[in-house]
Amino acid sequence: MDSSGSANADSDPHGAQRPLSPHLSVYRPMMTMMMSIAHRITGAGLYVAMALLTLLFIGVGMGGAFYAAFGWLGSSAIGGLLVFLITWAIYHHLLGGVRHFLWDRGLYMDPKGREALAIGTLVGGVGLTVLTWIAKSLAG
Amino acid sequence: MSTPTHFKSGREGRGAAFVADHHGSEHARFMRLTSYALAPLGILAVWYLAGVVGLSADGVRAAIGRPFPALTLIAFGVIGMIHAREGMNEIILDYVHDPALKDKALRANQWAARAIAALWTLALMLIAAPR
Ligand code: HEM
Repeated sequence: MDSSGSANADSDPHGAQRPLSPHLSVYRPMMTMMMSIAHRITGAGLYVAMALLTLLFIGVGMGGAFYAAFGWLGSSAIGGLLVFLITWAIYHHLLGGVRHFLWDRGLYMDPKGREALAIGTLVGGVGLTVLTWIAKSLAG
Repeated sequence: MSTPTHFKSGREGRGAAFVADHHGSEHARFMRLTSYALAPLGILAVWYLAGVVGLSADGVRAAIGRPFPALTLIAFGVIGMIHAREGMNEIILDYVHDPALKDKALRANQWAARAIAALWTLALMLIAAPR
């Protein structure tokens, strides 16, 4: 690369001591950034969640030893908590998708609008999850 | 239009925007298109999932073994895992830089996503099958 002084710790003996130009550390944590991270985390989490739900469905579908091994995912308190969290992750990630849909069309891109959408994702995800489980317990 | 310049940056080759898989906008479009199907399917899936908690095996079969819930969940699982495979590819490209490891991770993702989608479908067909 270049021969002039670089701040690369591998090639420059003083590189590690030189200050880095600040990037992440100068950011005030913003709602949009948090929700961007949350979208990735819920996306990756749902990948694992789908594997767990597959095990539950295999248990129910096959019965016998399979149900003995995986049935707890649906029938126990821990399993119930996991499914509750999975439904929240679906809602949160889904609303993140709606946010992308609106932004793709240039809507709510002003400072107030984008922050409101990000907060809407957070509040909406929790709200829809709670409403669904209340409705389900009333219906069932 | 291009602007001639005599400035030499001292760098060669392609820049940072080119080190990924060169499919950024295709990827974005793919995630958007699959998400249009996943949004309605996801709402229904949440409803069915919230309904199976605390039930016995027979209870779960009665709840989601009917054709509409079973087919809805199958569609959610298959489209969801196609979408998730693309999404996880992107996550791997962002964080795994060692070429050999990256290759392994991408390959593992292809097969894991396929396996989950296939077993998900099979299991729901077993649940819905008359017995
Ligand atoms: C429920 C409806 C869903 C909607 C509306 C949706 C929407 C989206 C959208 C628009 C993106 C692209 C985000 C971006 O461009 O930065 C995305 C990414 C992703 N989604 Fe989904 N998705 C849904 C369900 C799922 C499910 C069920 C899974 C897992 C099985 C999943 C896993 C992922 C992953 C892993 C990513 C990549 C995250 C990233 O690159 O940061 N999604 N989703």
